[in-house]
Amino acid sequence: MDAVEIASVTKTFDTVTAVDDLSLTVPEGSVYGFIGPNGSGKTTTMRMIASIFYPDRGSIRVFGRQMLGARSDEIGYLPEERGLYRKMTVRRVLEFYGELRGGRKVTAEVDAWLARLGMAEWAGRKVESLSKGMSQRVQFIAAVIPTPRLLILDEPFAGLDPVSAEVIRAAVLELRRGGATVILSTHDMNVAENLCDRIFMIFRGRKVLDGTLASIQDQFGNDTIRVSADDGFPPLAELPGVEKIRDLGQVKELRMARGCDPQQVLAVLVARTRVTGFSIVKPSLNDIFVRIAGPASEEVKVA
Amino acid sequence: MHRILLIARRDYLATVRTKAFLVGLVVAPLLFGGGLLGVALLKAKPDIADRRVAIVDRSGTAAASIIQAAGEKSAREAVDKTTGRQVEPRYLFETVPADDRDANAQRLALSERVRGHQLYAFLEIVPRAGDPALRVSCYSEASGIDDARRWFDGPVTTGIQRARLVKLGVDPSLVGDLLTPVAVERLSLVTRDEKTGAIRKAHKKGELEGFAVPFGLMMLLGMIVLVGSSPMLPAVTEDKAQRIVEMLLGLATPWELMTGKVLAAVGISLTSSAFYVIGGTLALAGLGMIGMVPFALLPWFYVYLVADVVMLCAFAAALGSACSSPQDAQSLAVVLVAPVVIPYFLITPAMTQPNGALVTAASLFPPFAPMMMLVRQAMPGGVPAWQPWVALAGILAWTMLAVWAAARIFRVGILMQGKPPKIADMVRWAIRG
Repeated sequence: MDAVEIASVTKTFDTVTAVDDLSLTVPEGSVYGFIGPNGSGKTTTMRMIASIFYPDRGSIRVFGRQMLGARSDEIGYLPEERGLYRKMTVRRVLEFYGELRGGRKVTAEVDAWLARLGMAEWAGRKVESLSKGMSQRVQFIAAVIPTPRLLILDEPFAGLDPVSAEVIRAAVLELRRGGATVILSTHDMNVAENLCDRIFMIFRGRKVLDGTLASIQDQFGNDTIRVSADDGFPPLAELPGVEKIRDLGQVKELRMARGCDPQQVLAVLVARTRVTGFSIVKPSLNDIFVRIAGPASEEVKVA
Repeated sequence: MHRILLIARRDYLATVRTKAFLVGLVVAPLLFGGGLLGVALLKAKPDIADRRVAIVDRSGTAAASIIQAAGEKSAREAVDKTTGRQVEPRYLFETVPADDRDANAQRLALSERVRGHQLYAFLEIVPRAGDPALRVSCYSEASGIDDARRWFDGPVTTGIQRARLVKLGVDPSLVGDLLTPVAVERLSLVTRDEKTGAIRKAHKKGELEGFAVPFGLMMLLGMIVLVGSSPMLPAVTEDKAQRIVEMLLGLATPWELMTGKVLAAVGISLTSSAFYVIGGTLALAGLGMIGMVPFALLPWFYVYLVADVVMLCAFAAALGSACSSPQDAQSLAVVLVAPVVIPYFLITPAMTQPNGALVTAASLFPPFAPMMMLVRQAMPGGVPAWQPWVALAGILAWTMLAVWAAARIFRVGILMQGKPPKIADMVRWAIRG
């Protein structure tokens, strides 16, 4: 069964079309990454799945049911903008959110999650005394109590230190192992590549990518050369068949034009410098993102 | 329903557990009752310093008799005969010969004496050409509503009446009784004792009766409604500014969220009212004035209270949802208190002419009905029996409309950020949802 089925959904605010004729299917038990530049429609799509916004056109089904504005205890939602009652204790605020969603006492689950995320000793403290990372852990716990079938996380790793990010990442994977479906948005392409089973990219309200990382990369083929050199790089201009060069510091990415011969490129490079690494790879998700949403945006097409 | 109750319980406890709420319970009646307390204190500590008054009689006929009448009045009223305490200032008159060559210069000279605090005021008696009546003017620095001006009315009238009698050749002492003012005694209606069947005598009405109960009830209702509803607007705006609402909207519908918040405000108002009603009843019982507690009106009081709080809080939630910052909300707070404040401006006609057309219309106009109808019902004589029910029907219809419209505005506005709300936008949201 699909966890979420979005069919031809459009959402407009005044004169701005935030989401335009979007169709998307999220398989149950998957981790689905939503990527896209700021203002592209990720949050609006997530809010519609959570029934916070209603689509102007089209339909959204969650576990086969059209939501029609009702709240479901099967959906956990972590908004991008974090907000907790600052004067309440961590335990009370979590019990409040948990009871609100589950309709029952959740004290044991609160204690278990606080312990799991290393927050047990903070249970009796007021939220206002927490650091940002701790607040985000608390907010994450609020989204997963009681354990949801569908977890929607809007930028769950934004602003987190590596330790907190790792704690949240491990918790997400644990929930997935328990059968939960996870939708998360991120600007970190490494997170999307490594954590997500499938990736969906939205740009200017329209779907431009959807699929596994491999299938997305296959659309672009092996058109990238990653090269490193011993003594820095000589000028790389006018390499035969190379249409774009991306400087990553120690490595440079060369994008080949159609019909370009990598052997010829290697030969020119070897003649100019001492090459220590040369590999022909598929473009990274980051590169694909920039190709689609960068200033040139020359490769935008509807997926 | 459990979500509504959970939100209501959280918001209720978050408010009633604060020091601000507990302090407000005590401070609010002091603020509202401060005026009355001030009046009572002023009455207890009146200004009793002697007041020197000059009198210029251009008719040459009345000054002496006015001064005599004033002296008699001072003797009667300046000292409380029961306690022996002086309760009014004494007026000491000096006669100033009229300077008819330049009356304006004389008035200016006397005015300078008033400004120099040598005189409190001066009276000028001027004959009217071809008219037996005299014109009497009082010049002073005091305001137009100063007690002294009314104080002079009696002695001036009596003095001039006596002067006229003398002019007619009648000895005023012979007709003194004819001119004695007669005070009308104010009594209640006669009733029959339901147990014994005996006819009970009417009782003399004090100043408090017919005033204290309606005034007190109206003030209490307005105060509790404001205590309960005024935190709603900043609370919603703050929840929105602190990004709490989006988290809540992932867990509860906008309707549930708003209804829970309104329900919390109703709970807060009921808590405040219990404090004041029980406290007030016990206090009056302790003073032996339990008869002043309008028990028959308490059910109406609570119906109006709940309706008013729901109505105002729904609007406050709607307006708060449309605001992006507490500053936006501040400017709208004035609109919200109008249904409470405007009836306060109508309290005088409501108490002097409770069945007048304006007051009756205001008490049937839903936003003002809770306060206006309550004050009319509390007046001696009450209102026609159908009117409270018609008002209640209007209040309920208006409240439902307010909640319905507010919920639609709330749903759209609560996640809007950036631009301040426009009335036109909110009307559109209410209509289109």
